[in-house]
Amino acid sequence: MTVYSSEHIASLVRSDQVHRDVYEDPRLFDLEMDRIFGRSWVYVGHESQVPEPGDFFCTRIGLQPVVMTRHSDGNVYVVYNRCAHRGVKVVNEECGNAGRFMCMYHGWTYDTNGDLDFVTQEEGYPDYKFDRVKDGMGRVARWDSHHGFVFANLSPEGPDLRAWLGENGDFLDDVAISAPDGEIEVTGGVHRYLYHGNWKMQVENLIDMYHPAYSHESSSAKGGQQFTRREGDKGGIQFFEKRGKVKSMDNLGTHSLPHGHTWQGGLPPVENTSADHQAYVALLEEKHGPEKTRDILVKKRHNVIFYPNMAMQELNPHIRLIRPLAVDRTEIFIYPVKLKGAPEKMFRDQLVNLNRTHSPTSLVQTDDVEAFARAQEGMMTSGNEWILLARKGPSEEFDTGRVRTTGTSEEGMRNHYRAWLNYMCADDGE
Amino acid sequence: MTIDRQSEIDDLLFARDVEQFLIREVGLLDDRRFEDWTNLFTDDGYYWAPAQPDQVDPESGVSLFFDDVPMLRTRFARLRHPRVHSQIPPSRTSHMISNIFVTRDGGSGLCRVDARFEMLEFRPGHRQRSFGGKYSYELVSGSGDGFRIAAKKAVIINCDDVHLPIALPF
Repeated sequence: MTVYSSEHIASLVRSDQVHRDVYEDPRLFDLEMDRIFGRSWVYVGHESQVPEPGDFFCTRIGLQPVVMTRHSDGNVYVVYNRCAHRGVKVVNEECGNAGRFMCMYHGWTYDTNGDLDFVTQEEGYPDYKFDRVKDGMGRVARWDSHHGFVFANLSPEGPDLRAWLGENGDFLDDVAISAPDGEIEVTGGVHRYLYHGNWKMQVENLIDMYHPAYSHESSSAKGGQQFTRREGDKGGIQFFEKRGKVKSMDNLGTHSLPHGHTWQGGLPPVENTSADHQAYVALLEEKHGPEKTRDILVKKRHNVIFYPNMAMQELNPHIRLIRPLAVDRTEIFIYPVKLKGAPEKMFRDQLVNLNRTHSPTSLVQTDDVEAFARAQEGMMTSGNEWILLARKGPSEEFDTGRVRTTGTSEEGMRNHYRAWLNYMCADDGE
Repeated sequence: MTIDRQSEIDDLLFARDVEQFLIREVGLLDDRRFEDWTNLFTDDGYYWAPAQPDQVDPESGVSLFFDDVPMLRTRFARLRHPRVHSQIPPSRTSHMISNIFVTRDGGSGLCRVDARFEMLEFRPGHRQRSFGGKYSYELVSGSGDGFRIAAKKAVIINCDDVHLPIALPF
């Protein structure tokens, strides 16, 4: 691998601009897979996807295939999806249940915690002493969970999960408490879509409240409101008041946190009069009382980004996993989040809404994806090698290190690049 | 020989009427007559394209499309918007429908139709795509002018693939 010097990488990020190479250079993409996805905590899956012993769920950390399993000891494990013998990917189904995993190539088997179980015709290895763990599929360096959200880290170095999450951990607390049963479940299938652009474009778009009035004009009704998202909602979010004016978006605010995490302020509450919503409110009030329930119902954040590549929305809750494939190719997986104990109809409406907003046929995301592909192409031009991220607004800093500024500010993206530099320029020990 | 074959002839003519209706139906999409296509649905009709091949219920999991008539109208109004960026330039499609099998329900005016289809799609500047799979319809009698669609389900064989944006119904 061509390794750029830290000086060179640092020169690609200015205080208010980034060089197009960060989106276009395949060698930088390789380094990102190594240094960002190999050093940061990365979202893997939710424990509810592997409820029973033997349950497994396959995903990737960067480009590396991993399996999240529930072992017979009841614990969740995250192991590389690789046979210790000749490197063959062992588990080839996305999810399911298995007593043990068998490699197709030479029939080696592994326990559901990844440990080596059985080597076929082992007598043929007289000089090699097998170790159940070392010659297993290989556990990733670290994994941990918060409210069942499992994150893994390929590096033994760096902060623990709770420290890395910071105030994003509080967000997961808020999601869990908004379920009448106090916990969530990842279920209801997955939306998968692809775009011909760099992975960071989707991450940056999630903190960009400058674009909706223009990119999503076609999905707004008269008066600049987006189509209604939930049954019973009185109207959708206001995209723009008059052409060019985006004050409502500015007022929501964007927040920058340590480790590159960002979130937007919660969308303004819309009145919901549906019977199911009222039943849901009653369930929360029964458990928490009216005052606490009012607080739970106020959505404080929108598009919460767990840098580098996971984001969640609290309104119509779902997990968005941004999966890099190549420097100019990215896939997005959307996993619905079910609030356990809430009226069943609420979740059904949620699924139908995700079809309209976060799917290959979405009335919203399709325009974002179009923008990413056109950016990937436009950045090929050599006339201007710099991407502008200079948009600002008044800001205030909190003692947690969080900075709040205006909704259409590009501060969130600058925050991503501060984290990006930290990962990319840290001594790689090579 | 005086074998009465009238009921077979009735079935044959009925099947032919259904076939003609469905050829016209998918043709409306290719002609971008989306509003006319939507008007073929009953007021409470729906169009469904599952995201999993074995999905039994459009509300138990996410779907590529699960649109009631108001949603179809919203979707197509958007396609008419001058700044629908993801469809500038717009896609062209060609639908083929075949292997049409009609199951008549006794007397109620309802019938179920299973068919196979293929849709080619080309958006200038992008690679041509092809989608294919199975259609299932529930049809009811229209008032005087043929049939109405109570439900149309389109299961493409790669419904659980990772798709580039899809703007037009299968």
